[in-house]
Amino acid sequence: MKELKQLLIMMAMVIVGITAMSMAPSSVHAATDNSLAAVQKKGTLVLATSPDYPPYEFQVNQKGKSKIVGMDVSIAKKIAKDIHVKLVIKSMTFDSLLVALETGKADMVLGGMNPTPSRRQSVDFSDIYYMGGQDFLINKADASKYPNQKSLANQKIGAQTGTLQYNLAKKYIPGVTIKGMDKGTDLVLALKTHKLEAVGMEKPTAEAYAKNDSSVIAIHSSYKLDKNSTGSAIAFRKGSDSLVAAANKSIREIKKDDLINKVYLNQAGKYLKVNTANTSMGHYWKYFAEGVEYTLIIAAVSGIIGVLLGVILALMRLANNKLLKGIAVGYIEFVRGTPLMVQVLFVYFGVGVIINLPALVSGIIAVSLNSGAYIAEIIRGGIDSVSKGQDEAAKSLGLSKTDIMRSVILPQALKNIWPALGNEFISLIKESSIVSIIGVTDLIYQLNIVRADTYRGVMPVFVAMVLYFILTFGLTRILNHFEGRMQHDS
Amino acid sequence: MTHNAVIEVKDLAKKYGKNDVLKNISEEVHDGQVICVIGPSGAGKSTFLRCLNKLESPTKGQIKFNGTEITTLSEKELSTVREKMGMVFQNFNLFPNMTVIQNLVLAPIKVKKMSSQDAEKEARSLLKRVGLEEKANAYPDSLSGGQQQRVAIARALAMNPQVMLFDEPTSALDPEMVGEVLAVMKELAEEGMTMVVVTHEMGFAKQVADEIWFMADGYIQEQGTPTEVFDHPKTDRAKDFISKIINS
Repeated sequence: MKELKQLLIMMAMVIVGITAMSMAPSSVHAATDNSLAAVQKKGTLVLATSPDYPPYEFQVNQKGKSKIVGMDVSIAKKIAKDIHVKLVIKSMTFDSLLVALETGKADMVLGGMNPTPSRRQSVDFSDIYYMGGQDFLINKADASKYPNQKSLANQKIGAQTGTLQYNLAKKYIPGVTIKGMDKGTDLVLALKTHKLEAVGMEKPTAEAYAKNDSSVIAIHSSYKLDKNSTGSAIAFRKGSDSLVAAANKSIREIKKDDLINKVYLNQAGKYLKVNTANTSMGHYWKYFAEGVEYTLIIAAVSGIIGVLLGVILALMRLANNKLLKGIAVGYIEFVRGTPLMVQVLFVYFGVGVIINLPALVSGIIAVSLNSGAYIAEIIRGGIDSVSKGQDEAAKSLGLSKTDIMRSVILPQALKNIWPALGNEFISLIKESSIVSIIGVTDLIYQLNIVRADTYRGVMPVFVAMVLYFILTFGLTRILNHFEGRMQHDS
Repeated sequence: MTHNAVIEVKDLAKKYGKNDVLKNISEEVHDGQVICVIGPSGAGKSTFLRCLNKLESPTKGQIKFNGTEITTLSEKELSTVREKMGMVFQNFNLFPNMTVIQNLVLAPIKVKKMSSQDAEKEARSLLKRVGLEEKANAYPDSLSGGQQQRVAIARALAMNPQVMLFDEPTSALDPEMVGEVLAVMKELAEEGMTMVVVTHEMGFAKQVADEIWFMADGYIQEQGTPTEVFDHPKTDRAKDFISKIINS
């Protein structure tokens, strides 16, 4: 009981320490504003965006190369040009954008983002650069059934979770059943399969869908909204006044010449046509290939580090030293007791406050640390499964503890735990997909890009499913081969 | 006898919780002696044997090996004592992840820092001695129980021990395989190896032992030559035990 108490106190102290460290920087930024000077000094303006939202931002597959384009990217480029620095684009999920800003992973965020009061509490916004307006996407066959917003009362409506559209529909459409999903493509799929009657969307997005899919059309909403909840603005870290002012200057120029409607949206439209000109999966093979590559890198590296870490933790746990044992038990319990997704976010954003780690490295670290805890328990079970007689026989020969472990116990343990270890490796391939939330271009991330670019909901999912299966099945064959080699029975 | 005491046991006691397994034992094993420890099951014979190389830690008492007190040694220091006391277990305890020859050369290479060539040469001659030369590259699981136990004896001998401890070496064997293992042990005894054997094989004990220790209830109740203990037991406990095994 006493040990448990000490352990809990220790863990609590670690958490408090880390939290305190991650709180500190925001106050530093507020004190002095050298944001513009800092950006100009490093020569790069880092934009964080979630490129699955055409025509605002999306990826285009041009001459075999993939790049992030869209109206927001054009604006960001202009701002960078106006303050004489290079634009660097970091992609990640929408939910992670503001965190990236707060933790210094990015200098600004564009993502068709509405400057709502609650968002204003954590970040600063530029002037509004675009008034999108709100539309609903409906099935063309229902055009006469749902001519306007009023007719959607008491119906089932979808919207992206955490967005303005979600909250508006919930608030202003009487009797509505609202269904939230993460991806626009999923919502449109649900609409087309009549699981939803309408999907709330920003006007340009809805129009882009209607243009690329003849079975859906866009209708206007009749929400009465103020600018802050319907316009898009650029987010900056709190206290970046000089940077905000520079951006506002660029926005004024954009508005004066109406660059968005005259130039940027047209460019985006052209890129969209490139994407949808050929939506066969073969055309997008490079996306999937990159996804497979990253998924394999993450799984392989994390697997190796996980095994090493697992062996060390298992030995610590079996040690007589109470401190080592306590550390190992605490680590294993804590890591197993928290979701991998939270750990990935923590390593990328939380530890990122102290050392700025790239997304891929953060992902690998988080997945390795996580699988190390699970593998440690598998290995401990394996060591326990080797009969006591083996240890005694080895001891009676005068072998040292290290030699007994290395030559006698671990090889036998490995054979016993091989199937469980194989399970862990297979789930590593699948569960590493969670790193897509911090923008690592693994298979799941690429899958979502392809879905967004091609407006095809099911086929990319099917391709990814087959690819995952090929990966795991291949791994199973390799594992079986080694298992066969460890069989020493007659 | 003029032999020196290799193992000296003084006031040895061992408790598991409230259970007194060994109560108070003081004995000596002399160089070249073959001692057979007999007695009913639960008498504490195996525990006693396992205390001698400290696989079990005594609750009380001293054990000296070549004059060195071993009950106070660290695990690391103990390994230098253990390499001189070969041990053979009831369940053989061969390493199933290694071939027969690998089982034999592991400790000489790791502990004695022998070259693998020398160790292998030695191992092959030991395998020849136990009649299993042709099984050098087989894995233990493909051998019969008798063969495995003979390999286990060879493995212990590979460390060139001063004493051999046998913990019921034939109890887990099918009856037809007992003979081959006892033959190896008998040969070893005839060559002058110091041996402590916990056994139920009374024929072997009678024939090979220099001294019989009869154990019951955590004490050594009676000791003497095979003739003394088997033919003229003094205590009731020994009389009872011996009449039972003769009549069975």
